[in-house]
Order: sequence, then C-alpha cells, then structure tokens
Amino acid sequence: MGLVKKIVTWARIKSPWIIHFNTGACNACDIEIIAALTPRYDIERFGMILKGSPRHADVLVCSGPVTRQTECRLKNIYDQMAEPKFVLAVGTCACSGGVFHDCYSVKGGIDKAIPVSAYIPGCPASPKAIIDAVVKLLATLDKGG
Amino acid sequence: MFEPDDVKIPIGPQHPALKEPESFLLTLRGEKITSASVKLGYNHRGIEKACEGRNYTQALYLIERVCGICSHSHSSAFIQAVEELAGLEVPKRARYLRTIVGELERVHSHLLWLGVAGHEVGFDTLLMYTWRDREIVMDLLARISGNRVNYAMNTLGGVRRDIGKELAGDILKALDTLEERTKYYAGIATSEPTLIDRLSKVGYLSPEDAVTLGAVGPTSRASGVDQDVRRDDPYAAYGELDFKVVTDNHCDVYGRTLVRVGELMEAYKIVRQALRELPDGPLTVKAPRRIPAGEVLSRYEAPRGEDVHYVRANGTENPERVKLRAPTLANLQAVSKMLEDRYLADLPIVVAAIDPCFSCTDRLITVTGDQEGTMNWEDLRRYSIDWYKNKGVDFSRMKIKL
Amino acid sequence: MTEQEIISSLENKFNFLKEKIKLQRARRLWVEVEMANFPEVLKYLRQSQNFYQLLTITGLDEREAFAVIYHLSDGTGLVLNLKTKISRETPVLKSVMDIYPPAEIYERELVDLLGIKVEGLPPGNSYPLPDGWPAGQYPLRKDWVGVSCLDEEKKNV
Repeated sequence: MGLVKKIVTWARIKSPWIIHFNTGACNACDIEIIAALTPRYDIERFGMILKGSPRHADVLVCSGPVTRQTECRLKNIYDQMAEPKFVLAVGTCACSGGVFHDCYSVKGGIDKAIPVSAYIPGCPASPKAIIDAVVKLLATLDKGG
Repeated sequence: MFEPDDVKIPIGPQHPALKEPESFLLTLRGEKITSASVKLGYNHRGIEKACEGRNYTQALYLIERVCGICSHSHSSAFIQAVEELAGLEVPKRARYLRTIVGELERVHSHLLWLGVAGHEVGFDTLLMYTWRDREIVMDLLARISGNRVNYAMNTLGGVRRDIGKELAGDILKALDTLEERTKYYAGIATSEPTLIDRLSKVGYLSPEDAVTLGAVGPTSRASGVDQDVRRDDPYAAYGELDFKVVTDNHCDVYGRTLVRVGELMEAYKIVRQALRELPDGPLTVKAPRRIPAGEVLSRYEAPRGEDVHYVRANGTENPERVKLRAPTLANLQAVSKMLEDRYLADLPIVVAAIDPCFSCTDRLITVTGDQEGTMNWEDLRRYSIDWYKNKGVDFSRMKIKL
Repeated sequence: MTEQEIISSLENKFNFLKEKIKLQRARRLWVEVEMANFPEVLKYLRQSQNFYQLLTITGLDEREAFAVIYHLSDGTGLVLNLKTKISRETPVLKSVMDIYPPAEIYERELVDLLGIKVEGLPPGNSYPLPDGWPAGQYPLRKDWVGVSCLDEEKKNV
C-alpha cells in the first residue's frame, strides 16, 4: 500500500466520519444509533464522529427500508461521498425491508438502492450490535481493505 | 400578504438539484417567519393497507412498529380495540402489567425528549445526562420483555410476560434513582436562567388555539388544556390508579418542558402503585382467531399525546379496516401557528417541543447543498444556537453537576 | 352531558335519529346519518352539544359505497362517531374545515388513499402518498391490490 493511502487509511481507522440517514421507518434504530453515542456505549471512543455532510463522510449509516420517497435522496447522498466509502444497514428494515417489505411504498432493504458493506439485523439493532459492526468494519479497513 | 421583502425558504432534506418539495416552507421577513407550511408524508409506509392482508396477530406485530418510541402505545391501542370487538375481558393482572410497561415507556420517551430538546438549544450535556439515565429504563424494559424497544408485551386477551417479585423489587429500586435524577432536572428547568430564557415565550400556543387546532398531549396540557385519556377515558388499569394530570399555563416550550418533567414524576408514582397492588391471576384469557364483525374506536395516552385507533372486524381472521391517528399528526397542525411571527432561530426547538416522532425531525437532518435559499436542519440548528448566544443565552457557560 | 342526555337531545332535535343512535358502551356513541342530513347534524353536535374536537376522520371502502366516519370528542372522554355514506362511483364530500380546522389533514388522506373528492380544501400539499405516485391509484380501495408499475419497479430494483 502506498504511503499516502496508508496514512489516509490510518486516519480513517482512527477517526471515521459518519453520516446518518433515515429512509423512513419507525425510528427505533435511529435512536439506538444515537444511544451509541451516549455515555453508556460511547461510540466516540472509537473515534467516530457524526458529520453533517456526505462529502466528508467515510461511513453512511442507514436505518429504515428504502421507500419510494427516499430512494433518490439515498442514492444521491451515496454518490456524493468520496471513495473509499462504506455503508452500514442498521436494523432489519434496512437489511431487507423487514416487516414492511410488502408495503406498497416500500421497495426493500438499503441494498436495493446502494451497495451495503455491513448488515446489522435487529428490531431494533441494539447499540452493542452497532458498535460490534463498526469495530469489525474498522478491522477490515486495517487489513488493507 | 406577500411583500417584496419577503423571502421564501424551504427547509428540508432534499438536495437542491432534485426538484422535490420541502418539509417546511417558510416565508421570512428579515429574521421573522411570517408564515409556515408543513409537508408531511415522508414516513408513509402503507401500514393500514398492510393490516388488511394480515391476521390480527401479524397486524399487532406490524402496528407495534409504527413508532420506535411509543411502540407499546400503538400495540395497546390496537389490541384494546380488538379485545373489545371480541368481547374479551382482559385479566386484571394483565391490565396492570400493560400499565406498568406503558408508564415505563412514557419515562424513556420523556427522558429522550429532554435530551433532544437540550441538543436543539445547544445544551448537549443535558442530552448525555438524560440519555445515560434513560438507559436505566431501557434495561428494565429489556428485562421485562426481552427487548429494549418493541416489547411484544401484548397478545390478544392479555400479556405475554410477567413481572416476578425479584424484578418488581429491582424496578422499584431503579425508580428511586430515576426520581432523584428527575428532581435534579426539574431543578435545572425551574431555576437555571439560561434554560428558562431560552425556552420561555417560544412556540406560544394560546389555550384557544390549542383546542381549535387539535393539539394533544403535553403540547396542549402546557396551554392549560386539562385533558388526558388515562383519566378521561380510562383503559388498562388507569381507572383503578391514583395520578394527577399535569397541566401548565405558560403556553410555550418552557411549559411543555415542565409538563413532561411533571409527568415523569407521576409515572414513577403510577408504576409504584401498580406494582404494589399488582393483582394475582392469569396473564391472558382465551381469544378467538376470528373476530366477530363490528367496529371500535380505541384511545390511548401515548407519551406524545392521544393515539386513536379505529378497527373494523368482519368475522374473519383479518381486520376489515385499521385506521391509526398518531398524536404527532394532531400536533403538527399547531406548529405552523406556533411559528407565525416568530424568529427563524426558534424553529428547531418549537418543532422539537411537540416531541415529533423523531423521524420527522430526523428526516430534516439530511444534507442539502449550498444553494442560496435552502437550509438543512443542522445549519438551522447551529444558526439558532448562535443567534441566541448573541443574545446572551449560552449553555457552554452552564455548569451541570452530577 | 351523559350519554343518555346526548341521545335525548339528538332525538328531540332530529326526528330521523329516533332509535338510530347506538350506545355501544360507556363513552362510545355511534350515529349514522344520510349525507343530506349530515351537515346540520354535524353543526348541531359542534355548536349545541359541545363536540368541539375532531379526533380523526376514517374513510372506508364498503364495496357498495364509501363510508366516512367523523370521530368527535367533547373533551370529557366521550366519543361520538358520526358516520355517513357516499357514492363509490362519484365520491364527493364537502370539507368540514370551517367547523374543525384540523380536518384538513384527515380530508387529504381521504383524497389520496380513497380517491374521494373533498370540496373546499384549500390548495396545498397532498398527504400522505409520495410525489410521483401514479394517478388514479387509491391504495385503501378494496379492489386495489397493487399496481403493476409498482411491482415492476420492485422487480427491477
């Protein structure tokens, strides 16, 4: 791996910037994602910082199924992110559409719109599961992914 | 009257390149909002239709997931309707257990709200503190039901889980801790000038408007409207328990804060009483799979306000029609009124103060571009915090001690 | 007012309501009226019987017709459910926003999900279907079982 890439990767592992997008479901996962930031779980000790702009983000954390209303927006945000980028599908709805999979405005899981790097099932996915996925993702980065 | 100086600003989740409608369309004159309109529907999933294609048990599972904060509220409102249609008499113990979980849900929801409100005004310490305390309740709910959210407590005819003596003891101990913490937050809310300044006279809703525009829950009770489904139209075990309906006369965001803190204190009392008086007996009665034809209107006082469910049965295993009206829908119509002739900087907390199903505000926290005239929620929140800092309201100078 | 008092007042005021008001249980009244009588009954309930809150409006497809139920509360815990029917072929309602401002959003639901025309609704955003929803597709109608273009999208995605 070239020196620049190595430094960038190191920076990414030490402090990945995340952006959160909820495509439209019940919010339980969104709250668990934010709970992961609070003292009990404290995901920031892994250096994760919640950012507002996709241009600066490394990881797109998605909750909710892909709906007609939000599909374009989701794709657009993904397209704005610079490589390398990763997508976490948080919760059963984000993984597969979940309990809403056959509802008329729902298209399915996040991977119906954009490629997903990690699937975190659960209804909702617990903060521990989210942290577990983030740690595993960072480990993949470390291995030169 | 639209004047040439008026500027129209859309606030929403969209990228300006995509010509999509906004979540809020504001007309500004200078820094003041002259009119506000809200566009809803981003969260539409087609649940009502989906229920028609499912049996009542499957529909129950789906309805619990309408909202990830008040899942038990929706589940209970629905199952109560079906039980009424089926003519079932739910055992007393089950009704008490439903009440206990319902009040614990109110506790987690109001603590969540306190944190979100803090975040919106730039008081992130409050977010960290309240959400840390909220974990106590999440643990209790997980121990009672097996899940932190979506407790699946209800079944047709009763409840699926019990609370044994040991767990009851632990709940009582936890309530003591929560009550002490809540008293601390109440102290901050009533004596900390920075917070009072920031929340007072913001998001004003007169008692008349609260009623005319159909506001519900803490939003309307903070305008002095003395209504609470638990007392007025009792369900579960509320008819047998003592509790106060908390109202306030400030008619603003500050009032809504006080009402929620007051409801937290009442919730602890209700749970203690329900545990103390928890009757022995079965957890369920036998329930049919086919529900006799009929229609029922069920109401439930969710943390955000009145939740209304209409269910029609047709004698089969599937409902004929399910209609839900969540409290946020009722309250959102009052928000436009609350924003009129107010400062743009007040928008974040005014919207947050009705405690919208988090997704409504969350949806607004997506990215938009740098185009003039478009704003995303995060920008607006920061603008709001800075605007108030310039007026001397600065939470970074506040010390909050444990 | 008690349930009985309300029933008596309504029966005294409107002959056609005699024996037609159902007391389902405490705090639950159900009344069905013909569309011709609906406006005056609603006005009476609002002005003389203190039903000043509209909880929501439920629209249903009863196959022979559409039913529309207005769930009214008098603030005491009592709910009166006022039902009327309209033609399925030409479903038209008059907005009740002038009596109950919150009706707007509930009436918009009837427009989107059942294809009922509500006269008197001000221009505004539709609710709740997403923009780009194909016209003429009303999900809550009983004969709506999905739309082939929507299913196609699901397959292609």
